[in-house]
Amino acid sequence: MSVSASKKRRALISGLAFLTPNIICVGLFTIFPVFFSIGMAFTNWDLTQHNMFKDVPLRFVGFDNFVELFRNLYFWQYLGNTLFLMIGIPFAMAGSLGAALLLNQNARSILRRGGLLLLATVGLTGACLLLVTLGMAASATVILVVSVAVAVLMTGTVGGSMVYRTLFYMPHFTAGVATFLLWKKMYDPLTGPINQALNPVLSGLEPMVLAAPDRTFSWLAIALVLVIGWLAMSWIGKMRGECADGDLGPAAFVLCVLLLLAPLLFLGFRAMPRYLWFPLSVGAVLITLFHAGRFLWSERMRARGPWEGAGGALLLTGGLLTLSLILFGLSLVSHHLPAMAAEGLDPPRWLVAYHWAKPALMIMAFWGAIGSNNMLLYLAALSNVPQDLMEAADIDGAGAIQKFWYVTWPQLAPTTFFILTMSVIIGLQGGFEMARAMTEGGPAGATTTLSYYIYSEGFETGRLGYASAVAWIMFIMVFSITIVNWKFGSRYVND
Amino acid sequence: MGQTTTQPLKKSYVLNLVLALMSMMLVLPFIWMVLTSVKHITEVGDASWVPGAAGWQWSNYLDVFQAIPFDLYMWNSVLVASWVTLLVLVTSSMAAYSFTRIDWPGRDKVFFLYLATMMLPGLVTMIPNFQIMIHLRLVDTLTGLVIPAASTAFGTFLLRQFMLSIPRSYDESASMDGASHWSIYCDIILPLARPGLITLGIFTFISNYHSFFWPLVMLRTQEKYTLPIGLLHFETAAGESTHLLMAAVTMSILPAIVVFLLFQKFLIKGIQLGGVKG
Repeated sequence: MSVSASKKRRALISGLAFLTPNIICVGLFTIFPVFFSIGMAFTNWDLTQHNMFKDVPLRFVGFDNFVELFRNLYFWQYLGNTLFLMIGIPFAMAGSLGAALLLNQNARSILRRGGLLLLATVGLTGACLLLVTLGMAASATVILVVSVAVAVLMTGTVGGSMVYRTLFYMPHFTAGVATFLLWKKMYDPLTGPINQALNPVLSGLEPMVLAAPDRTFSWLAIALVLVIGWLAMSWIGKMRGECADGDLGPAAFVLCVLLLLAPLLFLGFRAMPRYLWFPLSVGAVLITLFHAGRFLWSERMRARGPWEGAGGALLLTGGLLTLSLILFGLSLVSHHLPAMAAEGLDPPRWLVAYHWAKPALMIMAFWGAIGSNNMLLYLAALSNVPQDLMEAADIDGAGAIQKFWYVTWPQLAPTTFFILTMSVIIGLQGGFEMARAMTEGGPAGATTTLSYYIYSEGFETGRLGYASAVAWIMFIMVFSITIVNWKFGSRYVND
Repeated sequence: MGQTTTQPLKKSYVLNLVLALMSMMLVLPFIWMVLTSVKHITEVGDASWVPGAAGWQWSNYLDVFQAIPFDLYMWNSVLVASWVTLLVLVTSSMAAYSFTRIDWPGRDKVFFLYLATMMLPGLVTMIPNFQIMIHLRLVDTLTGLVIPAASTAFGTFLLRQFMLSIPRSYDESASMDGASHWSIYCDIILPLARPGLITLGIFTFISNYHSFFWPLVMLRTQEKYTLPIGLLHFETAAGESTHLLMAAVTMSILPAIVVFLLFQKFLIKGIQLGGVKG
């Protein structure tokens, strides 16, 4: 008895001793600051009021900081910016998945049978054509870029997918202020290579748009909106099927509806011409209400757990939302295209234009995200897809797309869910570095995210109390995503 | 049978082509970067990517050292990143040892607490940490960059995963022979956890080499700047000398690329084992 007690005590002492260096650091720079920060969020601590020259007494102000925050229009704008930048997440995930699928094919050395020669020729011609059509006919550039392309192709042919994986991963691994500054120079409206490549393309496009018959582009806009409608209808059909099978609970269903409808209706209200937006939104709301009512009050639904199948349904809805947003954007562009062409099509001014700064950052983030850790996670998951499932699908005569959709994709679901929630968590806290290095939050706050807001309030303006309050609001958002991850992630993995 | 031999080959051509084109698109910015870094100042901003009549100006790389104390920035960055890496490896491996090899009461609850700190946004603790730094008089010092980064929950978590995969029979026999925890930790566990330590070391080094927020807040004098801060100020000050900036950018991402090429294997394994981050 006493032996085991003393043994236990000895274990406790040595266990804590090994933990000491870590605990000192975590305690001083994580645990203590957390409580300190909670306290700060409820004070009026402001470095312009409390410094060595001016000592206004520090006092507790209760929830004043939070009230001010919710009334502050800037907060909402910056929250909107943060969420807007997160639209890039599904694209980045699709890119990573695509890259992983390609790499997983295990491109092996095909030096035999003159493959190299053939590949080099094809690559050379293809790249030449691409560059010439892009208008970069300046011969030295073309020759150089093409020769690099061929070099890539040749090393890849010899070295297999390993070489490509390294090249894919490079943008992510070098990401930092250095690459942000590189992109800032590339986005320069006059001297940057992006606009220098876009200029000839756009001046070629201009007469074509102007020559098109009247209303062509309005009809195109309407057609695209109709495609969104069709997508939404098939989504409802799918949801309905899942509800009928008992795979989807009412709460999960409502969440999906909100996720799909709210952004579309809001964006439509803000940006769409009224003749498109009004009938569409009224129709969508009516149809959804009708179906929602039927689902929620049917006998079958009440027997189910409310959150049944939320993970899969949310992924599906997210994908649909992304697709709808693309179509939505295209529809807007084609609506405005004739007017724009009449004034002359100029390439965007990227970082210095209010409406282009965020897309510019998203394009850059996409470049870095394709070959990121997410691609490696997908690669690992792909190598874990059971081979016998694939063989069974082969025997059933499934094509490549069917095999992907019915075998690979469901097997990847836990990974996808994990990557999605982690990306959302990182996205909520992100955007500071690129905004600070490339735009300083501008133009007119277009690229100021929540993290940038905390930085500027906490370290530039010196309103420590208010900045802490913003930080805690951010924590609450991150925390709720984490809860979702725990709750549905584990359930989804078990399926 | 004939089909099965020709099919993969044909597929392989297309696959290689697609992969090469994709990697080409991803590498294009880097090509532009290097080409711009060797342009003459009069040709910066020309539509042609390749240096023209003025020739390839490799001397731009030397001019960077005239324009900014690049070597000093690099030294500061490497110094801070190395110290952080060393400290993180020590604190995390000791904590991971405690969490995997010593059965002390309440251990799992404490570990859960550690995990919970991982989801805390760094921004929540930044503001109070800066006040702590003011009181410790560490603002505008390199020490102030190292100390708060000296332990990470992620590192503890990653090494715990590694150490769990080391069979307990190794150290149990040693403890039968009367070896102390310290000698088991030093002589048995650390050598066996080497791949994990290398992975964590590379992650920590690179993320601190790129670290931006905290140095930006902490550093005031130019002699203390790390590379990201130095580059940021150079960009603001340099104005039109894009060629010099690109030369500096090229030199600053070179170490990251070298480290990656050397330790690829460990990194990829580590990412797939420990989830994301890094």
